[in-house]
Amino acid sequence: MNSEAVHAGSHGGDGGSEHFEPKILVFCCNWCSYAGADLAGVSRLQMPPYFRTIRVMCSARVDPEFVIRAFEKGADGVLVAGCHPADCHYIGGNYRTRRRMALMKMLIQQFGFDPDRLRLEWVSAGEGEKFQKTIIEFTNTVKEMGPTPYKGGV
Amino acid sequence: MASDKIGAVMVVGGGISGMQSALDLADSGYKVYLVEKQPSIGGTMAQLDKTFPTNDCAMCIMAPKLVATGRHHNIDLITNAEVAIVDGQAGNFSVTVKQKAFRVDPTKCTGCGSCAQKCPIETTNEYDENTKVRKAIYVRYPQAVPLVYSIDPDRCIGCGICSEECKAKAVDYDQKEKVLEIKVGSIIVSPGFDEFNARLKTEYGYGVYKNVVTSIEFERILSATGPYMGTVLRPSDGDIPEKVAFIQCVGSRDEHCGNEYCSSVCCMYSTKEAIIAKEHGGNIKPSIFYMDMRAFGKEFDEYYNRAQNEYGIRYVRSRVAAVSEDPRTNNLKIRFVENGEPKEEEFNMVVLAVGLRPPADNENLSRIMKFKLNEDGFAQTGVFTPVETSRPGVFVSGAFSAPKDIPMTVAEASGAAAKAGTEVATARNTLVTKKEYPKETNVEGQEPRIGVFVCHCGINIGGVVNVPEVMEYAKSLPNVVVSEQNLYTCSQDTQEKIKEKIKEHKLNRVVVASCTPRTHEPLFQNTIREAGLNAYLFEMANIRDQCSWIHMHEPKAATKKAKDLVRMAVAKSRLLEPLESLTLNVNQSALVVGGGVSGMTAALELAKQGFKVHLVEREKQLGGNALKLHFLPSGDDPVAFVKQLDKQVTSNPNITVYMNAKIKNIDGYVGNFKTTLESGEQMEHGAVILAIGGEEYKPVGEYLYGKNKNVMTLLEFKDKLSKGEAKGNEYVFIQCVGSREDKHPNCSRVCCTGTMSAAKKIKEKDPNAKVWVLYRDIRTYGFREKYYKEASQAGVKFVRFEDKEKPKVEEKAGKLEVSVKDEDTGKNIEMKPDYLVLAAGTRPQEDAGKLAPMCKVPQTKEGFFLEAHMKLRPVDFATEGIYLAGLAHGPKFLDESIAQALAASARAVTVLSKKTLEAEGIVASIDETLCDGCGMCVPVCEYKALEVVADKKDPKKKIVEVNVGLCKGCGACVGTCPAGALTQKGYKDTQIYAMIDAALEGDKPKQEVKE
Amino acid sequence: MAEAQHAISEAKHDEKAGSWEPKIVGFLCNWCSYAGADLCGVSRYQYPTNIRTVRVMCSTRISPHIVLDLFKAGADGILLGGCHIGDCHYISGNFYTEKRVRLMKKLLEDAGVDPSRLRLEWVSASEGEKFSKVVTEFTDHVRKLGPSAVKKQEAAKAKVMAADDASVTFRLRALVGKEYNLETKGNVYKNTLDKAELEKLIDVATMDEFERSLILVLAKGKSRSVKELGSIMEVPTDKVLRHIVVLRQKNLISMEHPEGFTPTYRTIEIGGEQ
Repeated sequence: MNSEAVHAGSHGGDGGSEHFEPKILVFCCNWCSYAGADLAGVSRLQMPPYFRTIRVMCSARVDPEFVIRAFEKGADGVLVAGCHPADCHYIGGNYRTRRRMALMKMLIQQFGFDPDRLRLEWVSAGEGEKFQKTIIEFTNTVKEMGPTPYKGGV
Repeated sequence: MASDKIGAVMVVGGGISGMQSALDLADSGYKVYLVEKQPSIGGTMAQLDKTFPTNDCAMCIMAPKLVATGRHHNIDLITNAEVAIVDGQAGNFSVTVKQKAFRVDPTKCTGCGSCAQKCPIETTNEYDENTKVRKAIYVRYPQAVPLVYSIDPDRCIGCGICSEECKAKAVDYDQKEKVLEIKVGSIIVSPGFDEFNARLKTEYGYGVYKNVVTSIEFERILSATGPYMGTVLRPSDGDIPEKVAFIQCVGSRDEHCGNEYCSSVCCMYSTKEAIIAKEHGGNIKPSIFYMDMRAFGKEFDEYYNRAQNEYGIRYVRSRVAAVSEDPRTNNLKIRFVENGEPKEEEFNMVVLAVGLRPPADNENLSRIMKFKLNEDGFAQTGVFTPVETSRPGVFVSGAFSAPKDIPMTVAEASGAAAKAGTEVATARNTLVTKKEYPKETNVEGQEPRIGVFVCHCGINIGGVVNVPEVMEYAKSLPNVVVSEQNLYTCSQDTQEKIKEKIKEHKLNRVVVASCTPRTHEPLFQNTIREAGLNAYLFEMANIRDQCSWIHMHEPKAATKKAKDLVRMAVAKSRLLEPLESLTLNVNQSALVVGGGVSGMTAALELAKQGFKVHLVEREKQLGGNALKLHFLPSGDDPVAFVKQLDKQVTSNPNITVYMNAKIKNIDGYVGNFKTTLESGEQMEHGAVILAIGGEEYKPVGEYLYGKNKNVMTLLEFKDKLSKGEAKGNEYVFIQCVGSREDKHPNCSRVCCTGTMSAAKKIKEKDPNAKVWVLYRDIRTYGFREKYYKEASQAGVKFVRFEDKEKPKVEEKAGKLEVSVKDEDTGKNIEMKPDYLVLAAGTRPQEDAGKLAPMCKVPQTKEGFFLEAHMKLRPVDFATEGIYLAGLAHGPKFLDESIAQALAASARAVTVLSKKTLEAEGIVASIDETLCDGCGMCVPVCEYKALEVVADKKDPKKKIVEVNVGLCKGCGACVGTCPAGALTQKGYKDTQIYAMIDAALEGDKPKQEVKE
Repeated sequence: MAEAQHAISEAKHDEKAGSWEPKIVGFLCNWCSYAGADLCGVSRYQYPTNIRTVRVMCSTRISPHIVLDLFKAGADGILLGGCHIGDCHYISGNFYTEKRVRLMKKLLEDAGVDPSRLRLEWVSASEGEKFSKVVTEFTDHVRKLGPSAVKKQEAAKAKVMAADDASVTFRLRALVGKEYNLETKGNVYKNTLDKAELEKLIDVATMDEFERSLILVLAKGKSRSVKELGSIMEVPTDKVLRHIVVLRQKNLISMEHPEGFTPTYRTIEIGGEQ
């Protein structure tokens, strides 16, 4: 059964101290994914409130070092969202993103992170619902994995 | 004379066509009034889910144009309005426009939508083809421009609730219709089209059987924003249909319904819809019932091939006779004839590929504006005047002149903009305004002083997020000197307040926490600029669209998130630097490469707008391929037309023609190119138009071509025919020679119609001559269908052969013998023609491969130039300042080449009309001390803005140089640089790190904040 | 209105004893009907014991939710007593009562409950005898109708729950709240609306809101397909699907994809726009 992702608000009020609130950082490209996230808002699609978005012009701007920095600062998950492969506002930027993220996944694994803590997703400006689904699913994935194994120091 | 002209243009119809015309004109120094019937612009394209042949998301590629049109300070949007009277003449029209009441004050409405949420009146919404509901107060679609709600007078019961709900007090029930008198020099009409009313084809049961839908309804069904949020469901019971049938030519190529023309786009959109449906759910099995597959556009056949081979879409060549419903299951039975046998097959859902009709108000428009319609009710245009109506000064673009796809529409829109601009070129820059700002305050070296403005957005934010708490929290953040809250931060009075606060507190950074920067950043940037701050000292936190609206039931968590977002924005703003938009000088002349009809048309249009043009032609005469056409099926004379063009070009003082000339080198970038000819001659110019044409394929070795002198290509035969040298009793034409094959998978677009033209000519001269056309699909799209019909009626015999079973040609005793298996009857047909004519494909010009690297522009696999975007930038390259037109882009007809050439000239004028260009502020920049010139970043840049050059200080050392004229500011290169020498202004690493750190450091204010 | 609920649960208790007696709740306005009932008592007019009366200041105090909630709890009949038109102590309160009762009856009808189980009567302070007649007649009438199906049949209960949910939607509250003024005083454009047309519009809205509420009740905690909902609700499946489109737009229901070709829907329990 493939259930449509639903977020109806966290049960039991606004979160007690005992349950884990993952820290998720989301990089969105300006033209597609950020617009898709806006559309999710316009459509009032509800999703968990644990992610914080950083807007960049193109997903290809997401430097591997940003991802490392995020994990170093205690992020439990990092999501990079860009235009669908053929839709890139900057022609082919997101093809590079795809390659970089594949490498990054290998890299973070070497550091002892579950590679699933980093996700790349294509979200177009018309896919508010896909943005919602991605956030819900990724939040669940990160919740299941628990807090980041990183404890500070290098 | 010049003083009579009015430097303004009216564009009637705000679909993709009208928007493109408006943007081109407004960017070229003309004032534009864009009149749209609907309350918002966007037209049909806004309704589409995806576009062929790239499956691009329509809204994704269109939204930036929507926003640009809405925001352009030289475009006045007049929506909800229609033209009532047009007086005067070309150069000086007086237009009366009637604007219906919105009953909402557009200057006050913030588009928040609270009114529509509470309005108790429901009705079906037109945007979703009535598959969803909207309220009596509504916007057409969520991304609508202008984002102003309006009251539907037919539905509103006047209960007053919207006014009670509107915190901005924007609802105005007493608003009346406005009558506007507008003076313009020229008019472009682009009202688009209507879909054929499928109810008229009663045999298909539309409107009776629930699971029979039109293609545009299906488009909404496919869309993620449509009724079923992207899952394909059938309307009768919400099941996912397994078998979906597409019936083609509903209201096209059908004399019974009065539309004999082909609608040009349905074959492709059905293929697209079938592919997308298949992508949505693997179990859906689409079948397309068609007559001829008209995949005639650039790379369309490849798309069609993929649909069959990769997606397994089934194509059935048959006209469907009737559809009936099984009332128990609501399944549909389709009756059709396949291979001569009647068949019946059951489907779960049927999609009717409805044709394109002229808009319902076509006669009204024609009467008011005094231009002629053609016999099908579309605006009448000519082969040599594809964007001109019968009334001087009134131009047409898009589907109103003939059914057409988006790229051709966009090209025509730019083409019409060129013509409309030429009409009033002497009055350029007389009515446009340029904004004057106060001198920028120098903030360098100053400690950041940040002002934070938190928005309630009525109750949109304040109803969920505790805004006072966020405002108080912001005060606790380092460098924040003032934090305020506003009911609507975007309102006019708040702008004044922000300016006052900047002065009062000597702010040097401003953060607004409200809605999305995608729509509102420019507004606030403008405000701080008016207060003397550099526009880039601004940062936004999106606490509405991406916080309060998506966490409506978790106010505490949403408030926490809003604080984090504000903290992140403040952290970045602390590091913001003023950015300068660099100014580039523009050489206001152009280079046009190629002296065919496209090149001459483009050159002439530029010259008429007052720009110097260098026209380079490699042959010893102007005219190109058009000279080889000899005659056209419309009866127009292409040779006479070329001669007349030639005369105008050579006599125009603004045009310098270089004959027998070849380009040796093109260097530089937008506004500043330098070209060297092989002769050594040099020229400087600001724009380039590549119109190098194409050539007919010489099918040596195929069908005895080159061996038997009576086997010739279509153009060779037309030459003979026009000279009266072709005499015989029997003629055979073979189609698709060198097209739609393994190496050349695409259609050459023009050969079918060219064949009709030649076949008709033979029959005119000798009605008893036997003429055979051996074909795979007849692709006489649009009004060209008429020529197909005329040829049939004249007795030309059409025989369809299977792709794999090509006709056989032999020479026996000097006589040609052709045999072919007729696919429709299965029988073999033997012919003994006097002439065998091969409809040979179009190939790119051989110079294309040399010019491409010089101009840094890409080519398709087949060698045609590849434009910046297949749909919306048909004559642009990604490299700014370089444009293309005509056969160099791909096979096309003369009228299409002319439209494209005009388009290329309009696009070039957007550059040439300015003395200086402002480069984007957000660009890559390089730290020369760190760069070691490795060049890793160079191939990453899609815009060719990076180059490895010798260091000026140390010529032995190599470094990378950023050409800010070409950089678009994506930042892709920055992540590639191993030395950390590249950075992106406005999105520097340090700035992004600050945001990352702020996001993850948690809620740690410097002092306790009382809850 | 806890006392009314209490009256019903008390009656429930009685039921176990054996023979069925209709459970009727009466809401009487303080100024006319309640005084009339008092007069009835003073004059010793007799009427059956089934009714439990609740005093309210004005008959408009009785919202559709109060009435439908009681039917949900198992009431067999509800009587509303107010001042005669024109006599309202609060000037125009009973005009609104009339409109609301119309909505309640419409919702009861949609929910498959005989709308005559709800009766509105104007009883003035001087009409003691009328009060006894009304109660007697109404009790007989309800007795003839038999016991409410709500307690015995889940399906019947679901429908009344849905009617109750529909009655609290902003849309119906807004329409019915504005109805009287739109008909008599005019709308924002200073036009008065045709009564019949407005009633038709409200009836359609009522039916829509009821059916949507019913979908949400039926799909609460249980994922259901359009066809399943259609057959339970006895509503054509294409109409059910159109309701689901609206409910998904409002984030009240979500789609699930089981294997095969029939998606199902489940009510989102918390949240959504109301």
